[in-house]
Amino acid sequence: MSPPIGQKLRVRAMIYVAGEPVPFFWPMRAFIHHNPLHGLEQLPFDKAVAKGERLFHARGFLPRTVYQRYLADGQVDRAALEAGIRRFVAIHSPQLPFDLGDWLVTEMTRRDCSVVEDDGVAEGDAVHAALHGEVWQAGRMDADDLTHRLQHEIVLGRPIYEVIDSLYGTDIGTELDERVIRACLDFFDEGQSIWTMPERERGFFGAWLDVAGQDVRRTLDTLLRNAANGVDHSPENVIALVLESLDVPEDGWVSYFTQELARLHGWAGFIRWRSNASNYYWEQRYPGDLVDYMAVRMLLALTLLRKRAKGRMPITLGALSEAVNADPFEFYLRQEFRSRHVFSEMAHTLEDALLRGDRTHIAKVFVDYHERKQRHAAQRQAERLRSLAAAMQQSEALKALSVAELNTLLDGLRTFRAEEGMIWLRAMEAKAMGSLLHGLNFEHAPPRDKRPFAKAAFCIDTRSERLRRSLESIGDYETYGIAGFFGVPVSFMELGKGSENHLCPVLLTPKNLVIEMTTTGAQDAAALSALEKAMHELKESVLTPFVTVEAIGLLFGFDMFGKTLLPTSYNRWRERLHEEKPPTHLVQDKLSRDQADSIVRAVQRAVIVKAVEQDFGLEPERITDDIVRELREAALGHQSGCPAFAAAAGIDGAQVERFIGRLRGAYRINQAFAQLQLERLGRIGFSLDEQTRFVTQALQSIGLTDNFSRFILLVGHGSRSENNPYESALDCGACGGSHGLVSARVLAQMANKPEVRRRLRSKGIDIPDDAWFVPALHNTTTDEVQLHDLALLPPSHLIYLDRLRNGLGAASRLCAQERLPSLEPHARITDAATAIRNARRNSMDWSQVRPEWGLSRNAYFIIGRRALTQATVLDGRAFLHSYDYRVDRKRRLLENILTGPLVVGQWINMEHYFSTVDNERFGSGSKVYHNVAGRFGVMTGNLSDLRTGLPAQTVLDGGRPYHQPMRLITVIEAPFEHAIKAVEGVVAVKRLVRNGWIRLLIVDPEASTVCLYDDGEWRRRTLVPDDGESIFQELCST
Amino acid sequence: MEALSYLVAAVFLPLFPASMLFNRVFARAGDTRLRMALLLVWPQVGVFALALGGSQPPAWLIGWGVLTAALYAFRALVLRELNMWTAHMAVSAWALLWPIALASEDGNALALQGLALSVPFALLAWQAGRIEAVFGAAYAGASGGLAHAMPRLATLMTVTVLAAVGTPLFPGFFALLATITRTAPLVPVAAIVILVVWMLWAWAGARITRGFVVGPPCEESRTDISGTVALLAGLVLVALGVAGVGLSGYLV
Repeated sequence: MSPPIGQKLRVRAMIYVAGEPVPFFWPMRAFIHHNPLHGLEQLPFDKAVAKGERLFHARGFLPRTVYQRYLADGQVDRAALEAGIRRFVAIHSPQLPFDLGDWLVTEMTRRDCSVVEDDGVAEGDAVHAALHGEVWQAGRMDADDLTHRLQHEIVLGRPIYEVIDSLYGTDIGTELDERVIRACLDFFDEGQSIWTMPERERGFFGAWLDVAGQDVRRTLDTLLRNAANGVDHSPENVIALVLESLDVPEDGWVSYFTQELARLHGWAGFIRWRSNASNYYWEQRYPGDLVDYMAVRMLLALTLLRKRAKGRMPITLGALSEAVNADPFEFYLRQEFRSRHVFSEMAHTLEDALLRGDRTHIAKVFVDYHERKQRHAAQRQAERLRSLAAAMQQSEALKALSVAELNTLLDGLRTFRAEEGMIWLRAMEAKAMGSLLHGLNFEHAPPRDKRPFAKAAFCIDTRSERLRRSLESIGDYETYGIAGFFGVPVSFMELGKGSENHLCPVLLTPKNLVIEMTTTGAQDAAALSALEKAMHELKESVLTPFVTVEAIGLLFGFDMFGKTLLPTSYNRWRERLHEEKPPTHLVQDKLSRDQADSIVRAVQRAVIVKAVEQDFGLEPERITDDIVRELREAALGHQSGCPAFAAAAGIDGAQVERFIGRLRGAYRINQAFAQLQLERLGRIGFSLDEQTRFVTQALQSIGLTDNFSRFILLVGHGSRSENNPYESALDCGACGGSHGLVSARVLAQMANKPEVRRRLRSKGIDIPDDAWFVPALHNTTTDEVQLHDLALLPPSHLIYLDRLRNGLGAASRLCAQERLPSLEPHARITDAATAIRNARRNSMDWSQVRPEWGLSRNAYFIIGRRALTQATVLDGRAFLHSYDYRVDRKRRLLENILTGPLVVGQWINMEHYFSTVDNERFGSGSKVYHNVAGRFGVMTGNLSDLRTGLPAQTVLDGGRPYHQPMRLITVIEAPFEHAIKAVEGVVAVKRLVRNGWIRLLIVDPEASTVCLYDDGEWRRRTLVPDDGESIFQELCST
Repeated sequence: MEALSYLVAAVFLPLFPASMLFNRVFARAGDTRLRMALLLVWPQVGVFALALGGSQPPAWLIGWGVLTAALYAFRALVLRELNMWTAHMAVSAWALLWPIALASEDGNALALQGLALSVPFALLAWQAGRIEAVFGAAYAGASGGLAHAMPRLATLMTVTVLAAVGTPLFPGFFALLATITRTAPLVPVAAIVILVVWMLWAWAGARITRGFVVGPPCEESRTDISGTVALLAGLVLVALGVAGVGLSGYLV
């Protein structure tokens, strides 16, 4: 009998809810920056961080010493820091004979660790005695209190094997994780393994169960034998049975699941994403979801628990609870002995007592241990307080405190310890906001009398800021910032690829398909590519590597020396061996019904020709159009019999009928499939209305509606590096982790279309005939800009092309010169040419773990005119989105910017934040130890959780943060009411602002005010030119 | 006289159960310098007593030595207190001087080997003293994260443990290699047991190092040993390595 469907659904729903805090993990082929605490964004930032810390065993803020270094370097606003401390004191208002605020300022800025310890053992009376050199006698701990505490601390809120590990040192959790990872690697593999798990079509749990060890099968058999609904192997049933056998109450299942999922949150996040990606090829073929994953974990956990316990230790919640009740002293000592807070002087005594197992002895040791630990903790606490008081020159005041006051002081310090990170963060953000406001130009620029030589729309990516500034500095260029997909969500099918790639933020799902085609026709693979393929196959086979190494190992050695010693020259030489990608066109116009019919007919004809060739060996010249038409009509049921074909192939009527049947079945020449093809073709391209709408929206959203130049560059960006699984993390986040060239080509092609321009004129956007949109790609690793689709350029523009190229080249060199010192601080970079040479080398060097800094140090998101920031050097730290509120009366454009680009920017910002504050848990650790797993992720070593987040080389420099972790400081230049209505209109952004995930400033150019959302309210101050920092201090001190 | 000298040797090149005496004395000696002295001097008395005996020790005593070495190596696997670990490992190493004596014809060579085997343990005793001074106890797991908290001491400790467990270049390696190669033709079982002991040492060494060196750093900053002291201790280890290489020529 199967369990009722309701129970299955309940388990499924519980796992769905439990998985919410686990962030998605996208395959790394298209790296998606995401907030590791995205699932907690419904909470205020500080509370979400606290919860994330507990759930992922991570830290949410930097260590104090790092903040102190920022303070010393002037990157923390001291006034804001002190204001934060005063606010804390005001809220908690402790009754002390001195100002706690002064103590806290000293504590934060002059001590490298907290004055109170995190275990909080020391009591006020013990510390008081220690301060006065008196002997303190610990009170006897009541067994009932102890039992109650242990029940709460040990038994509840954790997977049972974690509890057992913490009491008996069994390390079941590690073994469980390893076995689960192996199962995941086997099942979710996407072509890396030669030998794959059999029958993966059955789903994760089913396929795994077939190859799971005998121990697991025995556990399952026992479970099912004892269960009322005996034979149901469904994952939901297995999960329920395991939890019931472990006595976990049903109201605790959700939190139990969350704890389980958080242990390997990389794998869980990947499976969670995959099961939601219904169009993902591997998910369609080999389905697997969190319910399967949980069933695998649960069954393995129970197997390991039973194997290890062998009746010697309690492995159900009920048994554990009883054991704790029966012998609380032993369990207290067990917990202490395995914890990192053990009083080390007595660790050996504890071990000895626990090994002996004599209850009387254990009780005696408990009393001794408890007292000595408390006394020791009190002594240490007293020493720390003395040192803090001495630094404050208040030693006497400390000594004069009563026990109650000392308790108040300790409580205050402990509470402060939990809130300290937030105070540092706000003070650091205050400094960053002040610096930004100081550099902003609130004046409107006078209108130009002539159009600039070129205008260029760059991606809002922080790396564009330097290039834009450089380009503007060398000539008559105007630049704009727009999300790198240029507002056109595209599903793209690249030449020679059979799958679609979504080029837009992951929040959107593109409806339109664009296909890349070439006029050069299909070509055979180059000899070198064929050779490379053969070598790969030799390497991947089971036996051939033994011979391959002897036979052609030297070739690999040659390759290795070339790549290592002469990366630039060697890679150029290798590139010459590869055939260049032919010039291509994008099919992006909507097909008419007739065109679509014609394409379907052409495809059917081509298939029929191939089928006849293959099945009957007829030469192409003998397969006439008549024969093909005849066969097609017969296959579609429009006629019967194919005399011409029968004669040509020399076959009888029955054979012809069989072949027609084969055409219908195997070759899918039938009405239903033709209809399906027509529907698919219907997705190709954009209608004229859509094209006009997208171009209008893109131009209006950046305020580019008049004064068009001869050249309007649409600059997407991408990166190039070698031996770098994180390469796509350096590409365009707004293009779903791909490079932005295709999006630029799509919009340029639309904007250059005369019909579109005609329609734009009716909307008030008059693009002159001599204005031409040119797509380009900014390689962020080398800073070079490559123009594309120049074959489409009108001849009248060719004469100006050199000037354009020279300008872009100069800007690239200047940009590299500015950027390289931060990447290679010890290199001698004397001029721009050296800088760009080094940058090119970085992009080709396979040993380079940091080809560029990427989006590290991102801090600002500015939505406004370019003039607002043009005069200030933002050091590649700002996402710059052009916006002119005057052309957006209905706020639709601003809402679009907030919905897509800002949210993506916030994900990027939070990814960098958390990867910096705890690179091991939220980031992915050092790249040096990474290995590609299953072709979709990386692991540290050969077996680990999937590493999410950014590697140490992206956010840390020599172990210290390079990225300055702050929340995204967002500036909107618009009238306050206009901006606030747009923010309130986008629920996701409203939540981010209100919960403090982004810091929002609104610069109102009409009222000359600046407003900051802080502590649940808007603070407004009048703008005074060149006085940003003082305005900001005013805002903060309110 | 011969029996008496073997009896004394059984105490100072400790054979079980006489080995318990050394462990008891070592545990009682609270002072680090005293412990270091014990570790350096104790086996030398045994070597001297063995030399007084004059002839080669009987085979059963050698077998007993090998078994004692195995027993203490096995026990060291689960020990987490660094002083106890050091004492057990030292007993295990000294017990192997019996088969080494069989392989070595020169009494001076045996004394040198005894000294070379003991020096890493003396260094470990000193390091245990330093850890106790900082953490209150030298207990693996409870005093972990040295790599972050006290990187110099952690480095020294790692290399010292490597020397103690007979890693190549250090004298222990060559002594054990010579013993195994010479005993193998005579008493193959003993050679195999010595090999097992060697592996147990390596395992125990890995466990104790993991317990102290790796792990999350403690929050409070700790005072590491000074650069000069680290340099001096490092020089001792380098000298030990050089001695090991010299000894290899002498033994092989």
